[in-house]
Parts: sequence; C-alpha cells; structure tokens
Amino acid sequence: MANRGSHKPNGSSPMCQFKLVLLGESAVGKSSLVLRFVKGQFHEFQESTIGAAFLTQTVVLDDTTLKFEIWDTAGQERYHSLAPMYYRGSQAAVVVYDITNQDTFARAKTWVRELEKQGSPNIVIALAGNKADMANKRMVEYEDAQAYAEEKSLLFMETSAKTAMNVNDIFLAIAKRLPRNDDSGNRQRTQGQHLEDKDRREVKEGGCCSK
Amino acid sequence: MDEKYDVIVLGTGLKECVLSGLLSVSGKKVLHMDRNSYYGGESASMTPLADLYKHFNKGECPENYKGKDWNVDLIPKFLMANGQLVKLLIHSGVTRYLEFKCIEGSYVYKKGKINKVPSNEKEALSSPLMGMFEKRRFASLLKFCDELDENNPATLKGIDPNQTMRDVFEKYNLDQGTRDFTGHAIALYTEDSYMDKPCLPTLKKIQLYTQSLGRYGKSSYLYPLYGLGELPQGFARLSAIYGGTYMLNKPFEGVTMEGGKVTGVTSEGETAQCDMVIADPSYFPDKVKVVGKVVRCICILNHPVPNTSDAQSTQIIIPQNQVSRNYDIYVSCVSFAHNVAEKGYYIATVSTTVETDDPESELEPAFKLLGPVKEKFLSISDIYEPTDDGSESKIFISSSFDATTHFETTCDDINKLYERIMGEPFDFSKIQSTVDPVDN
Repeated sequence: MANRGSHKPNGSSPMCQFKLVLLGESAVGKSSLVLRFVKGQFHEFQESTIGAAFLTQTVVLDDTTLKFEIWDTAGQERYHSLAPMYYRGSQAAVVVYDITNQDTFARAKTWVRELEKQGSPNIVIALAGNKADMANKRMVEYEDAQAYAEEKSLLFMETSAKTAMNVNDIFLAIAKRLPRNDDSGNRQRTQGQHLEDKDRREVKEGGCCSK
Repeated sequence: MDEKYDVIVLGTGLKECVLSGLLSVSGKKVLHMDRNSYYGGESASMTPLADLYKHFNKGECPENYKGKDWNVDLIPKFLMANGQLVKLLIHSGVTRYLEFKCIEGSYVYKKGKINKVPSNEKEALSSPLMGMFEKRRFASLLKFCDELDENNPATLKGIDPNQTMRDVFEKYNLDQGTRDFTGHAIALYTEDSYMDKPCLPTLKKIQLYTQSLGRYGKSSYLYPLYGLGELPQGFARLSAIYGGTYMLNKPFEGVTMEGGKVTGVTSEGETAQCDMVIADPSYFPDKVKVVGKVVRCICILNHPVPNTSDAQSTQIIIPQNQVSRNYDIYVSCVSFAHNVAEKGYYIATVSTTVETDDPESELEPAFKLLGPVKEKFLSISDIYEPTDDGSESKIFISSSFDATTHFETTCDDINKLYERIMGEPFDFSKIQSTVDPVDN
C-alpha cells in the first residue's frame, strides 16, 4: 500500500496519495469523524462498521492535491486484534479519544505507543479529543491533552463530528505536515502492483510527488 | 463473548480467514478466534526474526538480524497469476490491501543443473532442455493446451478427455525429460500418478500455467510484499468490515454439543453459542488423521540462488524422476525485494513430501543448489485431514497445507468446505464488487 506514486490527472496539479489510519477506543467517534470529513454527514447512531475497504478524500494545499486513503479499524481494535497490515505503510494517523471519558484518553496514549512501535518511522500523528460539543460532561481537560501532545510532538485539536468543529482543520493540519518530496526519508523501499481484473496492469512508479 | 453467532471460526490461517470473509459478506454473524497473539496460524509470516528463532527453539537471535524488516513465511507458496486465489482477491476487493510482485524466474532441475522452465512457444524453441525436434513437438502441446476449450470439441483435436495423459504424451511423441518438466514444473504435480488418469485435468493445469504467464509480469507466479501472512490478514479485514468479530490470544477450551451437534465454543470460562464451527486441524486433534508428512527448511542466504541470473525471487522444481524419488523437491526463494528480509538477504525455503525416516537428507539435492547458507530452520509437519465431513456435528475442519508450491489445492479445500458449510458451491458473482471503496 504505502507510498503511492505521484501522478498528474489530466495535466492538473500533482497529486500525492497517503494512507491514514484511525485509532482509538471503540465508540469514541472514529468513523463519525471520517464520515464528517469525507461526506459531510453525521449520524447520531452511527453503525459500528462502515462496510467499505477504505474511504478517500482529497485536499488541495497550495498547488498540490493530496489524496487521503483513510482506513477504519472495522472494529478489530475492540479485542486488541488489529493486524500489522493495518499499520503497514501508513504515513498519518489520527488517534481519537472522547473528552467525556478519561479511560479513552488513557487508551489513546497506548495507541500512540503502539504507533511508535509498529508505525512507519516518520508517521504524522494527530490527537483528536472528539465529542467537544459535549463539554458539559468533560472529563479530560484540554490542557492535559495539549501537554501530552506537546511532549510527544503530536498535532492536537478538540473536534466534534456532530457540529463539524475542527474536523476539516485537523486533516488539513496533517496534510501540511506530510512530506511531499523524495528527500523526506519517508519513502518506502519497494513498490508492488495491485491486482486488477485486466489482462495486464502497469507497475506503479516509485517515489512520491517527484515534480 | 456471551452472545449467539451463526459461525465461530477457530484459527486465523488463510483458509479460515477466507471462509470467515466470505461468510461475513454473505450476512452471517461471525466470531473469529485464535489462540495465538498473531494472525496466520500455520500460514503466518514471522516477524521480527527473533520470533522465528523462538518458534524453532533456536535460542537467541543474532544481533545483526534484529532489524524490523523480516517477515519469514512458515509455509512457502506462490500465487498462480490466473489462479483461483487471485480471482478471489480481485472479486472480494481484498487486493486493495495488498501489493504483489511477479516471481522473476521459474527453473527446473535436469541432470544436476537448473534450466529456465520454457513457458511459451518461443521460450520452448530456445530452451536447452530439449533437442531440436523435441522442442517443436513440445511447443505444439503448449499451443494445443492454451487454445483448449472443453466445451468446444473442435479444440480437442481428436483427443478424448478420458484418454490418459500418458497417451497424450505418446501422441505428441515427447521423451521422458520433457514429460518430467511438463508434469512437474508446468502442470505442477507433486508425483506421477496423473500419468495414468484422464488427461483433461492435466491439460487444464497446463493451460492455467500458460494463461497465468505474462498476466501481471514475466512469470506465472505472484508473491505479496511483506510475505504470505498478509493474505489471511486481508481476508480477516474483509470479514471485520462485514461485521465479523476478532479475538486474538484467546485460549480454546472446547466445544459444547447437543444431540451430536455443536452448540457453542468455550474460552476462559465463557461459552459463545453458535450453529457451526470452522477450525484448522490443530483445534480438534481427535477429529483429524495424519495422511502424510512435509519437511520444510527455511534457509537464510546473503546471496541470490546461484545460476538464476541473480534473480531476487525464484522457484526451482526438482522432478522426482531426476533424483529417484516419488515426490518432487521444491525451492521457493524471495528476498529483501519483497520486504521480507533485510537488504541483501534472501530466504530460500526447501520442501518436499517425506518419504524416508531421514527427512533432512531428502532435501540434499536442493541444498546443493543454494550455495552457502547462513542459517537453517528445519521443520517436519504432519499433514492432517478431517475424519468426517462435518455434516453431522457441524464442525468443519480444514486440511493442513500440503507440499505444493502454489495455492490451487488450498483453494480447492476452501471450495469444498464452503460447499459443505453452505450447501451450495461457491459463486464468485455473489461477492463481486460489493466492497468498492467509497470514492469522492
């Protein structure tokens, strides 16, 4: 999966593709954040799975188009059964907790440690304190999360998938921090091909956003 | 855990994960458990290398192998580019999670040397494996198989599908050496009993080979980056996306039965209810029998396999006749180019079906082809088959992975299990295009 090649669709601005993974305790709003970002939707009683391989969304930054390939946990986090494949080649991660639940913040810290162990060396990690619309039930102080994020050099925002607060902003902040050239050291070693139902399929070019 | 499921799957080997995925997609409520803390069971890729040392009780992993880059398959196999597993990956959408590379070279052993397997008419005509006239006869057999359509009698060119393969070889006037590599390096039989059976399945196997060729690259074989362990993980994700529940590191303490039928699975004192169980053989030692043994030796090299034009991936087949055996010996080699080893390292796994009480020395002809080996990990595994088909107990058990170098027999077992479980054969159209990513 990893570092998709850069290509210029119809001669427009160069496009970079990045794999972004979501992490966090069940029911903190991971899928809701993505649905808000990708489709602009929010469902009060979101089903716990999405039913898609992954969702994609593009953001335009300066003159570059960045395409996020967003992987949801599909519930495999519930019993600590996420496969190594999930982390493989991810260039960004959003670790989500629920500001009304202290345990989810503790779990978020565990996920950050897991990413340090299993994730790519230069992965960009954002911490999202979700359900910010429910501040009257707040159990995790903004300052505590911010201090932790600073200590670990994570991006940090409180978000609300319900009101859309900071949802686009946190993905944009990630986009700004993602390396967009070959010198980033984030380049994956090997490129393979995805199998498609065609007689022949060209191998994707290596590198990212070589302009 | 205290819930009711349609199906509980035990073990996360490739067969169990494929079935879990297919059943979840078809709307079944699936609980999938594994006693190990990792995905893949017998078909896992071990990472880091220290885990492989531990798995083989080889003591401390040397300091220079401690990088994160190793993913070593316990069971080596390649995918046929036009084979059943590739079709399943494409139709289920699981291919989106994976990246593949084509295996660079396929070789066959003859008289102590290895030669490239000629896989089309052109290569056949330039192959040193055959004399001038033999080449033309062989090329015409390949062409015949490639164009064969069993529903169109004209393409059979006078051959009766019930004739033996020996008859077909006679008809094409092919010598013993050519029969050896056709049967073993192209049709991929592990032994010679196919010769006296009806020819059609063999002709179709030759066709699978010729039609796999050039589909995604030069050879007929594919291999996933980061190792074969990615395959079960991909199908497990498919299952999870369709609502399957995953629990690793979950000890198995037995099943509950009622009137000869399974009603639940017990783990850590809790019992989850279910209508049926699917499991790999290790979960039901009383319900399986040993049908053979496979010896496998994982060899770490710091050089490519000699005489393969420095290929980063190769397969070598040593036909049984060449070394006076009943079963072929296989070498499967992958390397750092597939993100399974540290830069500069190669992993060559040698395997065969055990015939003597000294299995390691049976692999000797293959070791001679490898050059110096840094480290060897030897295993001798029983091959299990279920003692019954599960129709009474509703406990469906898969067979162990055999010695073949590809996934076709694995897929045959999956199809058989699917039909027994669902009461109808598996139909690709049922899962087609159901897992498209949402694109904006």
